[in-house]
Amino acid sequence: MTTTTTAPPNATVFGAEVPQPPQHGKPGGIMRHLNFGTGLLAGIVGAVAAGWITAALTPTSASNATFAPTEPEYVYLAVLIGWVVGFMLGMGAFVGPVRWLLGRDITHADAEYMAGKDLGFRRYFKFTTDHKVVGIQYLVVTLVIFALGGTLAMLIRTELGVTWAELFAPTFYNTIIGTHGIAMVIAMIVVISGPVGNFIVPMMIGARDMAFPRLNALSLWLLVAAVVCLISSMFVGGIQDGWSVYYPLAAQAPPGMLGYQMTIIVFAISTGVASVNLMTTILTMRAKGMTWSRTPILVFGVFAASLMGLYAFPFYQYSQILALTDRIWDTVFFNPVQGGSVWLYENLFWLLGHPEVYVILIPSMALALEIMPVFLRRPLFSFNFAVAGIIGVVALSGLVWAHHMYMTGWAPAVNYPFMLSTEMISIPVGFLVLVAIGTFWRSTVWTRLPLMAIYAVVFNKMIGGVTGIYLSDVPADQYFHGSMFVVAHFHYMLMGAGLFGAMGGIAFYFPKMTGRILDERWGSIGLWTAFVGFQITFGSMFVAGLQGQPRRVLQFDDMFNISNWLSTIGAYVIGLGMLIFLAAIIFSWRSGDVASSNPWGSKSLEWQTATPVPLENFEVLPVVTERPYNYGVPDPYEQRMKSLDGDLGPDTRLESDDKAGVP
Amino acid sequence: MKRVLVTIACIVLGIAVVAGVGAVAAISGEEPKAIVAKQVGTMQTPDGEKPHYELHLDVYPNSSAAVPPPRAGSPIQADLLSGQPFYHPSTSIQVPANSVVTIHFTQYDSGGQIYNPYFAKVHGTMDGTMTWNGKKVSEIKPSEVGHTFTVHQYPESTQPYLFLSVPLPMNAGNAKTNSDGYPVDPQKISVTFVTGEAGTYVWNCEFPCGDLYQEFGGPMQARGWMAGTFEVVA
Repeated sequence: MTTTTTAPPNATVFGAEVPQPPQHGKPGGIMRHLNFGTGLLAGIVGAVAAGWITAALTPTSASNATFAPTEPEYVYLAVLIGWVVGFMLGMGAFVGPVRWLLGRDITHADAEYMAGKDLGFRRYFKFTTDHKVVGIQYLVVTLVIFALGGTLAMLIRTELGVTWAELFAPTFYNTIIGTHGIAMVIAMIVVISGPVGNFIVPMMIGARDMAFPRLNALSLWLLVAAVVCLISSMFVGGIQDGWSVYYPLAAQAPPGMLGYQMTIIVFAISTGVASVNLMTTILTMRAKGMTWSRTPILVFGVFAASLMGLYAFPFYQYSQILALTDRIWDTVFFNPVQGGSVWLYENLFWLLGHPEVYVILIPSMALALEIMPVFLRRPLFSFNFAVAGIIGVVALSGLVWAHHMYMTGWAPAVNYPFMLSTEMISIPVGFLVLVAIGTFWRSTVWTRLPLMAIYAVVFNKMIGGVTGIYLSDVPADQYFHGSMFVVAHFHYMLMGAGLFGAMGGIAFYFPKMTGRILDERWGSIGLWTAFVGFQITFGSMFVAGLQGQPRRVLQFDDMFNISNWLSTIGAYVIGLGMLIFLAAIIFSWRSGDVASSNPWGSKSLEWQTATPVPLENFEVLPVVTERPYNYGVPDPYEQRMKSLDGDLGPDTRLESDDKAGVP
Repeated sequence: MKRVLVTIACIVLGIAVVAGVGAVAAISGEEPKAIVAKQVGTMQTPDGEKPHYELHLDVYPNSSAAVPPPRAGSPIQADLLSGQPFYHPSTSIQVPANSVVTIHFTQYDSGGQIYNPYFAKVHGTMDGTMTWNGKKVSEIKPSEVGHTFTVHQYPESTQPYLFLSVPLPMNAGNAKTNSDGYPVDPQKISVTFVTGEAGTYVWNCEFPCGDLYQEFGGPMQARGWMAGTFEVVA
C-alpha cells in the first residue's frame, strides 16, 4: 500500500472556507481498516499473549500472604489487561493520540469519515465519533447488559422460588447474585445518560456534536471492554460476594474477583470520560439564547448525573485499585488478617455507592419531567422548583453514604448526622415528585406510551422513596437492614423508577433515533405486563422482608415460601413483559410506522431538525427565544405568519401523525 | 401477524436463553451423587428399638491415581482445588429418619491446632462419645485435629433439631505412607447418633484446612470437598 501526502484545498464547512492540514492517504487513514472485528481479534490475541507470557514467568508454586496461589491470579490479571489494551488498540482508540504525536492533524475529510459519513450500517461497528451513532451504540450495549443481568435475575428467582430447591451449587448462586448486581448497576447508570445523553442532549441544546467526539467513542468502547471483563469473571470462580464485595469476603474470593475489579476500573474511566464530555458540551455548546432558564430539564438531569459520577466514581475506582494491589502485591489496605481496614473499603465503596443511586434516578426523573409537558400540553409546573430539586440532590448526594454502614460498627456517633442528611435528601427528591404531580394537575392528558411509562415511574418512585425513609432511620434500619425489605426497596428505586423511566425515554425518542414510531400496542402490553410483574415480585419481597427473611442467603425458612413463590412468578412476568417490549423495539425499528420529524409536537430543539437527523444536526444553528415548555402560549412567529398569509408553508404532516392523533 | 410472530420469537428465544444458561449451570454445579446409609440391623435406644444404618466416609489430603478428585464445576475450579483435601466418596449424605446411624470415618490427612476447642469435642452422638481407633473418647487434643464433620441445624422453623459434630484426629506428619502418599495406618473413627423426623441440613468441616485464604478458602467453601448436604429422609 502506498501512502500519499497531499495538501488538499480548503474545505468548505458550513459555507466557510477552512484551511486544511495535509491529507495522509485516504480520509480516515488506518481507521478505514479497524472495526469491532479487528477489536475482538486484537483483544483475544492480547489476552492470550499476555496470559501466556505471565504463565511462563510465574512460578506455579508461589502463594501470597494469605496462602492463595498467585499464578492463576497473575495470569488472569494479565489476560484482562491484554484484552482491554488489545481491544482498544484493535478498535483504533489510540490512533488519534498517535497521529497527534506524529504531528498529523486531522482533516475535515478524516473527521467526516470518523463520524461515519457514507459508511451506512458499518458505522455502528466502528470507533465512530458522531454522537448519534454513539447514542445508538450505547442503546444496544445497554440492552445487551440488561439481557445478561435479566437472565441472571431469572435464574436467581428460579432458585429462590422455594427453599432448598438447590438447582445450582451455592457458589454459583453467589456468583449470579454478584454478577447480576453489578451488571444491572452498570446498565442502569448508562441507560439514560448513554443513549439519550449522547443522541439527544447535543441536539437538545442546539449543538452539532459533543465537545469531544473521540472521547465519546472512547467511553462507549471502554464500556464494551469492561463488560467482557465482567462476563469473563464468571468462568474463573465468579463474583461470590454480592456487588459490594466487602472485605474479608473479597480477599477469600476466587480469581473472578479480579474480573470485577478490572470491570470497575475500566468502567470508571469510561464514566469519567463520558461525564467530562457531557458536562463540557452542556456548559459550552448551548445554542445562542439558551440561558439556563431556557435549558430543558433533561439537560439539567444529565449534567447533574455527570457531575455526581465525576466526583463519586473515582472513590469506587480507587477502592478497586487498592483491592487489586492487596490481592496481587500483598499490600495491606483492606485485608483485615494483615491489618487492613474493612471500614476503609466500605467508606470508599459507599462514597460511590449512594451517589450512584442518584446518578441513576436523577436522569430518570428529569426525563419524566421532560416528557410530561409534551403529553400534558402545558408548561412544567415550577421549572425553578425542579432545578432546585436537582441541585439539592447533587449537593446532598455526597453526604449520605454512611447510612449504608449504620450496622457495621464504624463510628456509631456519625449515624445520627447521616440519618439527618439522608432524610433531608428526601426533600429535594420530593420537589421533583411534586413538580410531576403539579404538572399532571388539571392537565389535558394525551396518554401515549411514553407517558404511561411515567405513570409507572411516579408510582414506583413513591413506594421506593417512602420505604427508603424507614431504612434511613437508624432504629428502623437495625431491624430491616439485613432483610429482603432492603432488596425490595432498592429495586423499586433503581428498577422501578430508573428502568421504567428508561422505557419511557426509549418510547419517546424512538422516532428521532430510528425514524419510526415504537409500536404503541405491543410496547404498552410489554410495559404494563412488566409493571404488574414488578409489583408482584417486589411487593411480595417487602412482605418477606417484614416477616424477617434475611437477604443474601440461598435457603430460607419454609414460612417465607409463599412470598418467594409469588416473587418468582412476578419475576417471570417481568421477563415476559420485557421480552414483549424488546420485540416491539425490534419490529418497530425494522418496519414500524415512519415518523415525522416531530411526531409528538414537542417544542424542544431536538425535534425541530429533520428525521433522520443529518450528520451536522442542524443546517443552521438555532437561536432560542423562549422557554422549552411554553405549551398553550401562543407562538408569536406562528401568529405573525398566520396573519400574513394564513399558511405556515408546505404540509409536513405524515399519515402517522394523524393516526397518532398529534395535535 | 408478523408482529405477533416476532413477539413470540422473542419470548421463545428469551426463555430458551434463560433455560439454556440455567441448565448448563445446574448440570455443571450438580451435587455429588448421594451416598445412602445401609441397614445393618436394629439397635436399642432410650426410646426403644430402632433400625440401625451404617455408612463409610474417608478423608483424603489430596487426590491420587487411586482416589480421583471430586467433580468440579469448571476446569478453573478443578485447577484451584487440585491438591486440596476432600471427603470421599461423596459429600451428599442420605440417612433415614427415626433411626440409629453409625458413620465410620477413615482419616488420611494431617492437621494441627484448631482455633475453637469446642470443635475438638464430640457433640450430638448417642452417648456423647466417639470410637477412635477402638477407644471411646469424648474429645481430642485441640492441637491434634485433622478435620471435623459438623452437621448444622439449619435455621428453619419446621425442621427437627439435629446437631452433630465429630473431631477427626490428625495423622502425624512423619506417618508411614503408601505409594499414593496416604498413611498406611490411618485414623479410624466411628460415631453413632439417632435421627429424628425428616429434614435437610448442611454440614462442613470446621477445621481450617483449605490451604487457601488463611486456610478457610477453596475446599472449605466447596460442596464435594469439605462441605455438603445431610438429608434425613422419611
